[in-house]
Amino acid sequence: MKNRGIFFWGNLGLVFMLCQWSWAQTTKQNITISYENKTRKEVLLQIEEESGYEFYYDEQGLGAELISGDFRSTPVTKILTEIFKNTVINFHVLDTQTIILTSNVVIQDKLPQSFGFLDRENEKKSDSLSISSLPIEEPPPFLEEKEQQETELDIVRIGRQRRGVKQDEYKLSGIVKNANTGEPIPNLAIVVEQLSLGTVTNANGYYEIELPPGINIIQAQAIGIETSRKKIIMYNDGRLDFDLTDSAEQLDEVVVESNRIQNVENVIAGVVELDVAEIKTIPLVLGERDILKTAITLPGITNAGEGSSGYNVRGGRTDQNLFLLDKAVIYNPSHFFGIFSALNPFVTGNVTIYKGNIPSEYGGRLSSVFDIGTKEANTEKFTGEAAIGPVTSNLSVEIPIIKNKSGILIGGRTTYSNWILRSLDDEELKNSEASFFDIIAKYNDKLNENNSLEATAYLSRDAFSITSDSIYSYKNRLFAIKWNHQINEKNTLGISLSNSQYDFNIEFDGDADKNFDLGYRINETELKAKVLSVFNNSHNINYGISGKLYNVDPGYMDPLGSSSIIEPLEIQKEKGLESAVFVSDNLKVSENLSLDIGLRYSLFAALGESSQPIYDENLPKSEGTLLEVREFGANEIIKTYGGLEGRVSGRYFLLPDFSVKAGYNNTYQYIHTLSNNTTVSPTDTWKLSDLNVEPQRAEQFSLGLFKNFDESNYEVSLEGYYKKSKNLLDYKVGAQLLLNESIETEVLQGEGKAYGVEFLLKKNEGRLNGWLGYTYSRTFTKLESQFIEEQVNNGEYFPSNFDKPHDFSLVTNYKFTKRFSLSANFVYQTGRPVTFPIGTYFLDGAEFPLFSDRNKFRIPDFYRLDLSFNIEGNHKIKKFAHSFWNISIYNVLGRNNPYSVFFITENGKLQAYQSSIFSIPIPTITYNFKF
Amino acid sequence: MTHSSLHIRKFATWVIWLVVVLLYGCTEPLFIDVSGSDSVLVVDATITNELKNHEILLSRSSQSDTEEPIPERSANLSVEVDNQQTYTFTEIAPGRYKSDMAFAAQSNNAYELRITTAEGKNYRSKSIQLPQATQIDNVYAELTQTDTGIDGVNINVDSFDPTGNSVYYRYKYEETYKVIAPEWRPWELVLANEDPPIATDALHTEEKRVCFATEKSNSIILTKTTDSSEDRITSFAVRFLAADNFIISHRYSILVRQFVLNEDTYEFYEQLNEFSESESIFSQIQPGFIIGNIFPEDGSDERVVGIFEVSSVSERRVFFNYVDFFPEEALPPFVDECRRSLATNSEVLGQAVKAQSVSLAGFLDNGDGSVTYIIQPRVCGDCTALGTNVEPDFWEE
Repeated sequence: MKNRGIFFWGNLGLVFMLCQWSWAQTTKQNITISYENKTRKEVLLQIEEESGYEFYYDEQGLGAELISGDFRSTPVTKILTEIFKNTVINFHVLDTQTIILTSNVVIQDKLPQSFGFLDRENEKKSDSLSISSLPIEEPPPFLEEKEQQETELDIVRIGRQRRGVKQDEYKLSGIVKNANTGEPIPNLAIVVEQLSLGTVTNANGYYEIELPPGINIIQAQAIGIETSRKKIIMYNDGRLDFDLTDSAEQLDEVVVESNRIQNVENVIAGVVELDVAEIKTIPLVLGERDILKTAITLPGITNAGEGSSGYNVRGGRTDQNLFLLDKAVIYNPSHFFGIFSALNPFVTGNVTIYKGNIPSEYGGRLSSVFDIGTKEANTEKFTGEAAIGPVTSNLSVEIPIIKNKSGILIGGRTTYSNWILRSLDDEELKNSEASFFDIIAKYNDKLNENNSLEATAYLSRDAFSITSDSIYSYKNRLFAIKWNHQINEKNTLGISLSNSQYDFNIEFDGDADKNFDLGYRINETELKAKVLSVFNNSHNINYGISGKLYNVDPGYMDPLGSSSIIEPLEIQKEKGLESAVFVSDNLKVSENLSLDIGLRYSLFAALGESSQPIYDENLPKSEGTLLEVREFGANEIIKTYGGLEGRVSGRYFLLPDFSVKAGYNNTYQYIHTLSNNTTVSPTDTWKLSDLNVEPQRAEQFSLGLFKNFDESNYEVSLEGYYKKSKNLLDYKVGAQLLLNESIETEVLQGEGKAYGVEFLLKKNEGRLNGWLGYTYSRTFTKLESQFIEEQVNNGEYFPSNFDKPHDFSLVTNYKFTKRFSLSANFVYQTGRPVTFPIGTYFLDGAEFPLFSDRNKFRIPDFYRLDLSFNIEGNHKIKKFAHSFWNISIYNVLGRNNPYSVFFITENGKLQAYQSSIFSIPIPTITYNFKF
Repeated sequence: MTHSSLHIRKFATWVIWLVVVLLYGCTEPLFIDVSGSDSVLVVDATITNELKNHEILLSRSSQSDTEEPIPERSANLSVEVDNQQTYTFTEIAPGRYKSDMAFAAQSNNAYELRITTAEGKNYRSKSIQLPQATQIDNVYAELTQTDTGIDGVNINVDSFDPTGNSVYYRYKYEETYKVIAPEWRPWELVLANEDPPIATDALHTEEKRVCFATEKSNSIILTKTTDSSEDRITSFAVRFLAADNFIISHRYSILVRQFVLNEDTYEFYEQLNEFSESESIFSQIQPGFIIGNIFPEDGSDERVVGIFEVSSVSERRVFFNYVDFFPEEALPPFVDECRRSLATNSEVLGQAVKAQSVSLAGFLDNGDGSVTYIIQPRVCGDCTALGTNVEPDFWEE
């Protein structure tokens, strides 16, 4: 019996080589054979016996039908032709004694010109189906994990290949039905990935599309319907029907995903979508996969430096980003000063970053929205994933509760540094602390055909000793629940309720009498209702309302221990209500032109109870110009601010794979961080707008060109933006922000402007894939006032703290084989501006440092190279756990990149210091496994 | 030790190293080339309501580590009063300018400082009014204990401005204290021969036992009454003297000067003060240039450091003795332990006497007519190491 399975094809090349030396046995060309109601397998065995040929085939592909036939001295080939007449099976006489049976594929007699199993890139371009373009392996997708997704895709072979028939395109048609109701689904988009091809089903759910031969990945997507992806190998014209289920996540469908074709097609410019799976091979810091760290390798998104939390998007400040985890705000999405992001990579599904146009349903931040979604739990079977790294361990499990209906996903991550520190003899180390954890649970339930429910709970906590006698800790906690209801075929309602809290605390336990406990807390609750209406193909309307209540405890300091002489202090609480109505229409004007027009009206009310100082308008705000303190009762409106926000963008196809996009965006922000550090510091607090602090505003204009090459294997984009902001918060020289009862006398509100050009070249496929991004951008602040005390740098524009004109990143992955790959990252950034001591002077007999103008100098440039080597466990399907090793070296060049710059007076002299976090190459090994 | 515990130890060491890297990273001095920055003019100018020849100091900022200010020489300086009267200044020492006439700032007048540097650059201050003049009501020493339990004496100030206009106060002080050399002897060591130095003993030719040392305040002491219902300063501690501070060992006197400032001037000093305080991660402040009130006349954005202060001043002196507060207690420890040693090597002794680093504590009769000197640190037997032996005019016993 010579049943060799499908795996045979992998060795085909070797077979070809061998056969040139193989011994020719005598085989009969013409045989006489008769059979009745036999399976093809039985017939083949009969032919083998008669002719002396050996057949190689996949038994299952032969089918179980019974056939009959009678041949007299007929060539074997003719008999075979008859046997496989109405099937997709082809046969090939390999040599004088071997015949290979294949499904769909015609085997060529000759080797292709390049003996190219290793050279699939070239072959993809050729239209002909040479042997080397057999579906022997899936083409290597962009990055490792994605491949796995794709191997999980159903592979559908369409038509039977015939020799000598070569067409540029074949026709695929079929009917799309709802699996539950059996009803045809009209207006469903059938989109071909990588190609700018697509069609829509008609009223009967019927579609027809011309596809190039070979592998195509098609997606069937419609609002309220679970998107289906299938890998199709086109050999000939054929038919493919879809049975699709309702989507449990109708709201999410609104986000136009920026997958390959949508790079060009998406109407909204400046959207970045990152799939956690995509970043699997990117070099790691201390073994942690980190989606937000990957985001900063993309143009337009930077952070202040290594290991600093906070992101600057298109010249925006770190407080201008709305981080949403399952639609609930997360205030500090980082651990350990930002070395790790606080998102568990195992449970994070994807991140959509809106850096250009923000959809009108989001608001309250000027620069961007980071919409982070947690994966949905598998409702079919129990699965899990675990990783063991040098700093943390990570575990996630997905547990079905009711099969195909509901499930829960639980993920947790923690450090073991504390445990180790405690087990030490050294007193100093024993009492220090350095730890974090995060835990998340998400429950999803498809209640019935028209309703689904999702709930997420999340907690993260960091605690570490900044100095040997203080413990600093912070905590993010959030809860979100979302109900989706399909009102009718065209309308879907989503209602969500979320609550987030962020707090930090510093316990100082050093001096006997100066011990204190200091803290800050912000809490917000949002209720949001949104309706999505699909009118027809050319209008998708989205509208809703939202309301958000803020409660801020801006700071307290209490004595710690009975001997402490610290006076208890509490800054008065803040309260505010931010509400909004929004509407947007995704409008298809013509084949080539689409618009997305959104409007949002937001209103903020600062609420009592509060004492609000009123200052003389004609004088700088200071204690001396305080006119009165006005008292407001509980929930009394102190002041309202509001405005109309426009979110408009459009896309025009210049060519099917070349588009131009333009957008205009304006935003309001009613909450501000108080931070005079360049990086996000542990003691940054959020403050609400009130009588003296106006909301920040920004306007952004953007224009971009998007082009795909080589069947979307290469994506190129060039985007430019210009942004103007007002009422940005900045600080007077010498400002002290924490626990300051009259903070309005320390802050200044000024203007900002930012502009930049972003270039991105992405290669999605092939052994070598990755991207190269370059951004030239500038960002400036102007603090001008009629009062010289409230001016900075003479009221002229000066570079912002995070103005880094040149930003270059290269992210690459090279696959040696399916199992081994090497990744490299290189990042270069201009050093950020710094206010630096430029000398000293004597006044009144004492020596003082002379500081430069604000941000006049720059710290040294930042650059870093990381390498990682990935070893995939072998791909045996039945293996209990799928494993993955990652060996990384972070900062291979050992570059001493400054994390923060600070000044210390030593022997009466002021000395600047820089501290670096990873000044030496850091190797790590991580072991991941899935079960 | 078992094999596995060795592994755990190794692993633990590695993780700790990692945590240390994370928390402390690598800190090193950062040098940024600031050589392109010009040195700036530094003005230290205070005009008060005292009738005197006022002094103004001009210097330049320095990029290198200098111990002394770099004087700005040969500038033309004048103070203009209400654009009518001008008081000119003359350089009496490098960078030190003194008004040619004695004058006192008057209320209701506006004063403006004008500077023309030797380079020909013109600077002018904002027009400044003399703030309200308020007399110090009282300066007194008071026994106190700090929050941390240290006994000592506070020098407190009381002041009250019924008009409520003073509000912003700065204090400076000048303290003078009596020093009595604890190991004074009637004799001292002098040089019998200069080269090579050979020491011998002689009777004192001047006062070396009782001296007077004077020190000025070196910090910016500020207070304001914005938070009070009235413009009153009560028991504001200008100076704290710990009970073991040797300067109060005998008799101590302090002259407290109270300056009533304009708000701008007050804020300038307040900012300056913040920069001189030590910084911690909890109190990071925004660094930057502190704007004063002197600007170039050409309208350029050239910086001038310092402020032209016009303030009204009032001063008061107080005296006290150690025994007034600590009648039962031993004197505070002297600045030196006064260890004695035998000067057996005459060469070394000669050098030490020449360098004025020792004083005579006694003799040891060698029995052959010669003596060996017993020596001690100079300060123990010679009070002029700390102050002057001339009693100040204001001194009252």
